[in-house]
Amino acid sequence: MNDVTHSPATAHRRPTPRLLAIMLYTRRSCFPPKRWAALLLPCAGALLFGLLSRAVDLTPDRAFANVAAEGIFSLVMPITALVIGDSVLGAEVRSGTFHFTWLTPTPRWQIVVGRWLAGSLVALVTIAPAAAVAAVIAGSSSSAGPAFVAAAVGSTAYIAIFIAVGCITRRTAAWSLALVFLVERLLGAALTGIAQLSPTWESRAIFVGLLDDPPNRLVREGIPQGGDAVVRLVIVTVVTLALAIWRMKRMRLSGAAD
Amino acid sequence: MRPDPQPNDPGAADSPAELDPAFVADATVEVRGVSVWFGPKVALSELSCSFGPGVSGLLGPNGAGKTTLMRAITGLVGVNEGSVLVEGRNPRRDREVHYGLVLVPEDEAVPPGLTASQFVRYIADLHQVTDRGAPDAALHEVDLLDVGDRRVDTFSKGMRQRTKIAAALVCDPQVLVLDEPLNGADPVQRAHLIALFRRLGATGRTVIVSSHVLNEVERMAERVIVLVHGRLAAAGGHRAIRDTMDDTPRHVLVRCDDGRRLAAALVGVTAVTGVTFDPKRDGLVVQTLQARELAAALPRLAKAGSIRLHEVRPLDDSLESLFRELVR
Repeated sequence: MNDVTHSPATAHRRPTPRLLAIMLYTRRSCFPPKRWAALLLPCAGALLFGLLSRAVDLTPDRAFANVAAEGIFSLVMPITALVIGDSVLGAEVRSGTFHFTWLTPTPRWQIVVGRWLAGSLVALVTIAPAAAVAAVIAGSSSSAGPAFVAAAVGSTAYIAIFIAVGCITRRTAAWSLALVFLVERLLGAALTGIAQLSPTWESRAIFVGLLDDPPNRLVREGIPQGGDAVVRLVIVTVVTLALAIWRMKRMRLSGAAD
Repeated sequence: MRPDPQPNDPGAADSPAELDPAFVADATVEVRGVSVWFGPKVALSELSCSFGPGVSGLLGPNGAGKTTLMRAITGLVGVNEGSVLVEGRNPRRDREVHYGLVLVPEDEAVPPGLTASQFVRYIADLHQVTDRGAPDAALHEVDLLDVGDRRVDTFSKGMRQRTKIAAALVCDPQVLVLDEPLNGADPVQRAHLIALFRRLGATGRTVIVSSHVLNEVERMAERVIVLVHGRLAAAGGHRAIRDTMDDTPRHVLVRCDDGRRLAAALVGVTAVTGVTFDPKRDGLVVQTLQARELAAALPRLAKAGSIRLHEVRPLDDSLESLFRELVR
């Protein structure tokens, strides 16, 4: 372009590595103030669940474990991850701005992984600390660490899944909700095979497995607990990201107007 | 309506460019038998054409398939049949081709939360542009350097379009695909951008521009591809297309000092299918199917009758009228 524009040919810049550029772009562009508001609402919900557990007539540890398993890991975390996962890809595809990234020589794996990393970082500063703070509010400080780890691993796995959904369909939110509440919650409650691959059930298993004295009713037979559950979700995340990368090759980006 | 028969397999011909104006000899973008459909809707149907260095215009009514063709060329949309090659490579599969291939989409959408400068630098980073001055130069090229620190989602439609053009220019592409790039631009900016595209074409880049403002395409493009209902309707220079449309009547305004006698003489010419007097234009409107024969006959008749010709002008030679006839 030097003959068209008037750029000084001598000055050189060191371009930002693509992966980092995509992460920075995702943080800046995919999370406008309204998105942050939509993210902070479920986080506030997590804190309310922490308060709610104080009203349960059990020891603080037991009360928070029950409330966290049913409220935070089964409801708040998937919703927060859905907002993040949709923001980092699905919303961009729908709005027609994803073209700008796709139409560059950036390898697809960097596009997918960069967006997943950016989304995961957002989860690490929103829902994961919210889950830990909820434990503290509940008076169960010993549960804060397990809650943080479970929410962090579970939400990053969810974000990978929602990115993959965004590569498959433009109706990311609808399909993601169906996946969480119909497949995971309903079928996963009955079928252990589905629960073994479910971030909801596995994050509950991480949380319960890391507790000093977990309530027996929260220990589900047939799925890995604690550290093993972390490994399981890491595998789910890697496989889902690979699926998203493969699927991105076949995406038809027909624009916002279509 | 096509000017010349199109070979089913352009590769089979020795030199398709010599046979068919839809093809160019030094093609950088080759579209071969491409069909694209979305469910039951056929967007492109067995389309074959090519584009080379210089500015090519893409014309057609809404739904003709212009945007789909542009997206197929850039790889955003995969083709159901046929193939698209850019500099010999498949833009869907070969990511390297995007170092030199850019698209300015028609959509108004721009990434929210970014300034124009941040957006252009982001694209420069993804293209690994090492020229420090390239982002500012690209913004300067579209007259946005002064507002580079403003967020693009606060820009007007024309400014957004220019921001996207700057993002396209920052990587110094060899092939630019511009979907309605003048949308929302004011007249001064239009002239500026048209000059820019012409300069890019003159420096050997392949510039493909679609527009609904047909007189601007005339000003920009040496060559025009016309799409109708997903098919190639015409290709070539707009005058050349006109010449090949033998079955389409053309109207020529003839102003002279003795219209009555010239009209009587013209009626005897076989190429002339009608002559009327247009009081608004104060001249004869001659309808013909063979413009070249009329052009040869007119001076001869005028000389024979000692009639002084003041003006001979085709009335429907603009792309606007051509387009109307092609889609009629």
